[in-house]
Amino acid sequence: MHDGIHLEKVGIPSATICTDPFKVTARAMASMWGAPEYPTIFTSHPVGGLPREAIRSRAEELLDEVVAVLTGVEASHLTPTP
Amino acid sequence: MTSGLKDVVQAEWEDVVEAIEKCYELGWTDGLPVVPPTTERVQQFLDYADRPANEVLGAVPERRREITVDKVAANAVMAGCLPEYFPVVLAATEAMLDPVFNLIGPSSSLGGAGILAVINGPVIRELDINCRNNLFGPGNRANSTIGRSIRLILMNACASVPGLFDRSILGHPGKFSYCIAENETETHWNPLHVERGFPRGTSAVTVFACEGPRQVRAASKPEAILTCVADVASSLGTSMANTGSVGDTSAILRQGQIAMVVAGTSDVWDGWSKEDVRQYLQPRVRRPVADLKRVEVIEGDVEPEDEERFIPLVPSADDILVVFGGGQEGPTAALIPSWGAKVSSTAVTKAIRPPAG
Repeated sequence: MHDGIHLEKVGIPSATICTDPFKVTARAMASMWGAPEYPTIFTSHPVGGLPREAIRSRAEELLDEVVAVLTGVEASHLTPTP
Repeated sequence: MTSGLKDVVQAEWEDVVEAIEKCYELGWTDGLPVVPPTTERVQQFLDYADRPANEVLGAVPERRREITVDKVAANAVMAGCLPEYFPVVLAATEAMLDPVFNLIGPSSSLGGAGILAVINGPVIRELDINCRNNLFGPGNRANSTIGRSIRLILMNACASVPGLFDRSILGHPGKFSYCIAENETETHWNPLHVERGFPRGTSAVTVFACEGPRQVRAASKPEAILTCVADVASSLGTSMANTGSVGDTSAILRQGQIAMVVAGTSDVWDGWSKEDVRQYLQPRVRRPVADLKRVEVIEGDVEPEDEERFIPLVPSADDILVVFGGGQEGPTAALIPSWGAKVSSTAVTKAIRPPAG
């Protein structure tokens, strides 16, 4: 979340993927950085440690959402960090 | 009465019970009552340590939190510390904020780490910190409140609020308080902080993000004790015996550091140094590939040769923290596995600055 928000703030499109158990934490982090509406893609836990094939199929599942976020976010939606 | 902090909530209180209840309302407690952090009490702590209130000890940048001396003082007050304990709490905080400790990991992870603090040096005698019986248990003000301070600092100053940024699945009782001292005067072993590069005669605190202590009962010979400890440390189901976040693509498992607390009398270990203990243990903390495949940590069918292919769970002998402490009635040890991979969080030792004057 932290990295994605900061990349967007410097004009680099980003899509942040977060696992389900961290939904509340992700929203809190986004609010903390002044971007409560920052779009986040959620997927089931875990991602770390998945074998290569499982990662590939997970990526394929999420691809449309990633493209939508990368092409749909405008940096102006993100308020500057005070 | 008001809180001593300038950039957070100020509150007014009529009496002590109301003040304690107000602290609950404000979300400042770990579930147990706290000592209200009045301006006067916080100032006593600042005066004792002779550190400026706004001195920055470090930061949790991901959460936009700067950790200042006054915030640490307020939490030490709330935990029930005496002013004399404050330099220890400051050193523990500095250790947690060291980059290699990577506080964001153990303070947010599903793994639910406790932060163990191990205290060494003359400060143990000066503050009457327990290093003997019931080492991990209740009953000593210094151990209980210094350990509790660490958790309150994490929650209040570092935003590791359970359910919000602290995502522990289970957590463990050490998350309330987890502070021990080494019994340096009844062993021939070098104290932990001396082994980690600090001069003898100075005091220091080591922090380690870890699971709870598992008691290990053993016979009275060093090899038998260490074989039991190695067996416990080699359990399936620890963070060390898992994949994910290995940090090094050549490693199959996470691997991690372990702490071993050795109770009993020192004479059991005649002829053994701590380094001997580490060298004996490290190659024995391991698991065959076959077992790791059976529990789906490693993918694939179990091949006959997998029964004899072992993977070490602790990267090097230096990643074993050996501490002498606890009761002396019989050989017993505690084995404490790390919360995560060594690359995710590494134990850190910091000097405890003597108080002013």
